[in-house]
Amino acid sequence: MGRYVLRRLLQAVPVFIGTTFLIFALVFAIPGDPIRALSGDRPVSPGTVAALRAEYHLDDPLLVQYGKYMVGLAHGDFGKSFTGRPVSSIMAERFPVTIRLALVAFVFELVIGLLAGIVAALRRRSFADTLVLVTTTLIVSIPVFVLGFTLQLLLGVKAGWFPVAGTADGWYSYLLPGLVLAALSLASVARLTRTSLVENLRSDYVRTATAKGLSRRRVVGRHALRNSLIPVVTYLGIDLGSLMAGAIVTEGIFNLPGIGQQVYLSVRNQEGPVVVGIVTALVLVFIVANLVVDVLYAVLDPRIRYE
Amino acid sequence: MSDTVARVETAGTPPGPVTEDAAGRHASLWGDAWRELRHDTLFVISAVVVLVLVVMAAFPRLFTSKDPRACDLGLSLRPPSAQHWFGTDILGCDYYARVIYGARVSITVGILTTVAAVVIALVLGSLAGYYSGFVDSLIARVTDIMFGVPFILGAIVLLTVFSSRGLTQVVIVLVMLGWPTMTRLVRSSVLSVRDMDYVKAAKALGAGDTRILVRHITPNALAPVIVYATIYIGIVIATEATLSFLGVGLQLPAISWGLMISDAQYRIADSPHLLLFPGVFLSLTVLSFILMGDALRDALDPKLR
Amino acid sequence: MSLRSIRWTAGVAVLALALAGCTGGGGGGQAASGKDISVYICEPQSLIPQNATEVCGAEVLAALFEPLVNYNAKSSKMEMTGVAKSIDSTDEKTWTIKLKDGYKFSNGEPVDAASFARGWNAGAYGPNAYQGASFFERFQGYDDMQVPKGAKPGTKPKASQLSGLKVIDPLTLQVTLSAPFSQFPVELGYTAFYPLPRAYESDPKKFNEAPIGNGAFRMNGTWKHNEQIATTRNDAFPGGKAKVGGVAFKIYSNINTAYNDLLAGNLDIMDALPPERVADARGQLGDRFIEAPSSQFNYLGFPMYDKRFGNPDVRKAFSMAIDRDAIIKAIFNGAYTPAASLVTPMFGNSGNPCGETCTFNPAKAKQLLAQAGGFTGTLDMWFNSGAGHDKWVEAVANQLRQNLGITDVRFHSLDFAQYLGKLEADQITGPFRLGWVADYPSSQDYLQPLYATGASSNFFEYSNKKVDALLAEGDRAPSVEAGQTKYNEAEQQILADFPNIPLWFQKIQGARSDRVQNVQIDVFTRIHLADVTVK
Repeated sequence: MGRYVLRRLLQAVPVFIGTTFLIFALVFAIPGDPIRALSGDRPVSPGTVAALRAEYHLDDPLLVQYGKYMVGLAHGDFGKSFTGRPVSSIMAERFPVTIRLALVAFVFELVIGLLAGIVAALRRRSFADTLVLVTTTLIVSIPVFVLGFTLQLLLGVKAGWFPVAGTADGWYSYLLPGLVLAALSLASVARLTRTSLVENLRSDYVRTATAKGLSRRRVVGRHALRNSLIPVVTYLGIDLGSLMAGAIVTEGIFNLPGIGQQVYLSVRNQEGPVVVGIVTALVLVFIVANLVVDVLYAVLDPRIRYE
Repeated sequence: MSDTVARVETAGTPPGPVTEDAAGRHASLWGDAWRELRHDTLFVISAVVVLVLVVMAAFPRLFTSKDPRACDLGLSLRPPSAQHWFGTDILGCDYYARVIYGARVSITVGILTTVAAVVIALVLGSLAGYYSGFVDSLIARVTDIMFGVPFILGAIVLLTVFSSRGLTQVVIVLVMLGWPTMTRLVRSSVLSVRDMDYVKAAKALGAGDTRILVRHITPNALAPVIVYATIYIGIVIATEATLSFLGVGLQLPAISWGLMISDAQYRIADSPHLLLFPGVFLSLTVLSFILMGDALRDALDPKLR
Repeated sequence: MSLRSIRWTAGVAVLALALAGCTGGGGGGQAASGKDISVYICEPQSLIPQNATEVCGAEVLAALFEPLVNYNAKSSKMEMTGVAKSIDSTDEKTWTIKLKDGYKFSNGEPVDAASFARGWNAGAYGPNAYQGASFFERFQGYDDMQVPKGAKPGTKPKASQLSGLKVIDPLTLQVTLSAPFSQFPVELGYTAFYPLPRAYESDPKKFNEAPIGNGAFRMNGTWKHNEQIATTRNDAFPGGKAKVGGVAFKIYSNINTAYNDLLAGNLDIMDALPPERVADARGQLGDRFIEAPSSQFNYLGFPMYDKRFGNPDVRKAFSMAIDRDAIIKAIFNGAYTPAASLVTPMFGNSGNPCGETCTFNPAKAKQLLAQAGGFTGTLDMWFNSGAGHDKWVEAVANQLRQNLGITDVRFHSLDFAQYLGKLEADQITGPFRLGWVADYPSSQDYLQPLYATGASSNFFEYSNKKVDALLAEGDRAPSVEAGQTKYNEAEQQILADFPNIPLWFQKIQGARSDRVQNVQIDVFTRIHLADVTVK
C-alpha cells in the first residue's frame, strides 16, 4: 500500500508541472497588455505602465516568467495580483468560502441524489423511476446561470426565504447557492446509485440473504446499499474537486467571494500568478482526492488490492 | 457542468462485449439493443425531438420564411403575436426566426465537437489500450494533465486566448477539453476486449496489428463511447450557453440559443418571452440527447437487461 | 457578470425627490439618527487616492476625503467649499493655494500644505506606478521623478519630490507648472489631488487597507476585500456633517445580484443599474428610481489613417445615417441624450454645435456619400466585448446597411486590453466604439486628450494645427472662463473636421431603498453621501 501511494505521488509530479505550465502558457498567450487595460479608456503615463510591467516580469519571455514563478513557489511565494495583494492572502481569504459552498453542495448531492437513486432502484421501471430520471436530467439541461438567477429571484427576492447574496448570514447564505451547484451533479449521483444498487440487488449474496429469511429492509439497508455505495463515494470524492471549479458561475450569481469568482476575474484581467496559484491549488485537491478515493476503494472493497 | 456527468460513465462499468465472431456478435448486441429501444417510450420521444431539431438545423427555411437578421428597431421587445409567434427581441428581429436559426449553431457545435472528440479518442484510446507500455503511459499522462484543468475554467482561459470567437474556436476548445474523458473510456474498453479469444484467434491466423485494431478491437469497444457521445452532445450544447453567459462564447453576428438566453435572463421581469423560447428549445434539446444516451446505455448493457 | 470594474458613468442628480417625507427628523447633524446605510460598489483597484482612477475606489475615497474644491451636485460647477480658501495666480503658471484652518485627518493629524505636497509627490513618483500619475505631468519637475527610459530595473529617478511644489507655510502651498494652465483650479477636486497623512509614508500597503482621510466619513476597520468597506461618520469633520451614522460600501461582482439585493431590501443605494433592468426598475421603483445626467460621452471614431475614411464627407454621411433617437428608445429605454456636441452641454457649447451632421437624414446621407465617392469593401465595426455594447453596435450597423446601402458588414469585438492595443497600434479598419468620461468640469478634459495632435487618446490620428493652437490658447487664457471660450472654438473646428461621430451622452441610472432619501449623484458618479438622510 505504501509503495502504491508513493508511486501515485511520483506520477502526480509531471501532471502537476504540466498542468500549471499549461495554464501559465495560456494566460501568457492571451493577447493585449493587461497593465494598460488596468486604467481603462483613461490616459496613463508611459512611466507607470513600464514600471508595472517590470514589476510583474511581463517583459520576460514565457519560460523565464514561468521559471521565476516556480522559484517563488518553491519559497512559498505565490506572487501577487495587479492590485499588489499577495496571491497567498487572496487564496486564504477565498478558499474557505468555496470550500463551504462545495461542502453544502456535497451534502445536497449526497442526500437528494442518494434518496432519488434508491427510490429509482427499488421501484425500477415504475413511474417513480422515470420521474427521477427525467427530473434530474431536466435540471442538468437548464443552464446553471438560468437556474441560479431564477431561484435567486423567486426564493430570495420574491419569497424572501433565503439571503439573496453575500455571506453575511453564515451557513444559511450557502444553502441556495449550494443547491444550485449541487443540481449539476444530482443526475449523476442518482443514476449511479440506481445502477449500482440494481446490480447488487441481483447478486448472489442478496439472494442468499433473502433466502435466509432476512427482511427486505434489512437486505437492502445492510447489504445491498452498503456495497452499492462504493462507486457513489468514489464519484463524490472526485466530484468535490470539480465542484470547486464549477463554483465559477454560482459564486458570481450569489456574490460569494470565493475562488471561482476570483479566478474568473483574474483570467479576464490576465493576472497570471493569481490564475496559476488557484489552479495549482485545485490540481492538488484533484490529485489528492483521486488518491484518497482509490485508497478508500481498497479499504471498502476487500477484492481490490494494490501492490 | 459537463465533467460531472462525464464521470458517471467512467465510474460505471463499460458494457462487456459478448464473445462471438465479429459479424455475428455485432448484429446481436446492437440488434438486441434496437429491439429493446423500440419499446422504450422515452427513447422514442427523445429520438423524434432530436430528429426534428436536426432537420431544423439543416433546413431552417422549412420552418420559417422570415430573415432572422431583418430587424426593425421600431418593433423592439414586442410580446408574441400573430405576426411574430415568439415576439421580437430588443433590435426588433423576429424571435421565432432567430430561435429556428439558433438551432443550427447549437446543434452544429454539439455534433462537430463530439464527432471530433470521438475520433481522437478512438485513435488514442485504441493505441493506449492495445499497446500498453510506453505509448500507454505517455497518453495517460497527457490525459491526466488535461484532466487536471477544470472544465469551465479551462474553457474560459482557452477562449480568452482567441481574439475572435466563432464556431470554429468554440468547437476547438470544447474538443480539447472533451477528448480525455472519451480516450480513457475507449482505453478501458479496448483493454477488456484485447485479450478476448477472438482477438487471439485473429492473431494466430496472422492478422497484423492494424487489421486487428481496425477490424476487431475498435468496433467492439465502440458501445460505451457512443453512449457517452450522445450524452456529450447535450452537455456541449448546454456548455455553449454557459460560455456565452460568461462572455467567452460566440460573438456577433452569430445567432445561438446560448447568446439569446444570456441576453434575455435579466429581462425576465419585463420580457419573459425572450428567455422562455430559446430556454425551452435548449433544455429540450439537451434533455433529449441525454435521455437518448441513457436509454442507449441501458439497452447496450447486458447486465441490466 | 460584470467584467472589468471600469464603469464609465457619471451624472448630476436632478432628483424629483419627495422631501415632504423627511420634515420630522431633519434638523441637521443632531446625530439623532446614527443609522448606517449601504451602498453598492465593485471591488476597488486601490484605496490610495493617487492610485484610484476607477469609479468604485473613487466613490469610497470621496466619502473618506475632502478635496481642495468641490463640485456642485446639480450644476457640477466648482465651489470653494473644500479645504482651499483661495487658489490664485497671476500668470496661470505659478499658483498659490491657501488652506482653511481646522481640517484634521481622522487620526488627529492636521491637514496642512505638507499633506497635499505628500500626496502629490507620491502620485508623481514614477516607481510608485500610480494610476493617477498623469495628472501631475503638468507640474514642474515631473520628468525628474520618472525612471529614465531603458534604465536598468531598480534604477531610482533623479528626484523624489516635485520641484514645482513648495510648502510656504503650514497653510500655503505654491505650485509651479511647466506651462500655463488656466483650468488648474478646476481639476483640484479630482481624486488624485487628495492629501495624504504621514501614516501613508510609514506604510503605504497598510494605508491602502485602511486609508486615513480628512472627509465626512472615516474607516471602520479595514477593507474586507470583495465583501465590504465599512465607514462611520467623522464627527470631527468641520465641513457639512453627514446625516447618517455610517456607510457600508458593499462589494458585488455582479451588478444584477446587487440589484436583486436592493429589491430584497438589503441594499440602500446603487449609483448604476444593469441596463437590461432599467425599464423594470423605472416601473417598479417609482420615485426610488434615480436618473441624472452623466458626463459620459459615447462616440464612434474613425481610423483616419484608413484612406476610405479620409474624406470628412464620408464620415459625416455615416453620422447622418444613424437614427440616434430610435436606438436610444429601443435599447436604452429612451433615457440617454442624443449627442450634438463633443463636450457635454453642461460644460461646453450650448445648443446644437454639431448641427445637421448629427441629425438623422438618410436621404442626405446617401447623397453625401455618393458625392464623396461612395464606400467600397467591407465595413468593419469595432468594439470591446463583454461590456454590453453588442446590441447597439448591431443596431448602428443595421442602420448603416439600410440607409447607406453598405452590404458587407463585419463585427470585431475584443477584450478591452486587446482592443486598446489595436487602437494604439493603429490597426483598426473601421468605425470603433469608445466612451469618454470627465474627471473635472471643463471642456479641456474632453478635448485635449482626444483631439490634440498625438494626444494619449487620439486614436483617430486626427491632427489640425488650428485646433492645437486654440487648445493652447485656452490653456494660456487668464481665467477659467476665458479658457472655456477658446475651447468652445476648438470644439466647433473639430466638429467641422469630424474625426468621430458623437452618439449620445449617457445617464446615471440608480436606485435607492425606502429608508434613505435625498440621494444626489453628480456628473462624475459621486453620491453626495453626507447629504443622504435615513429613516
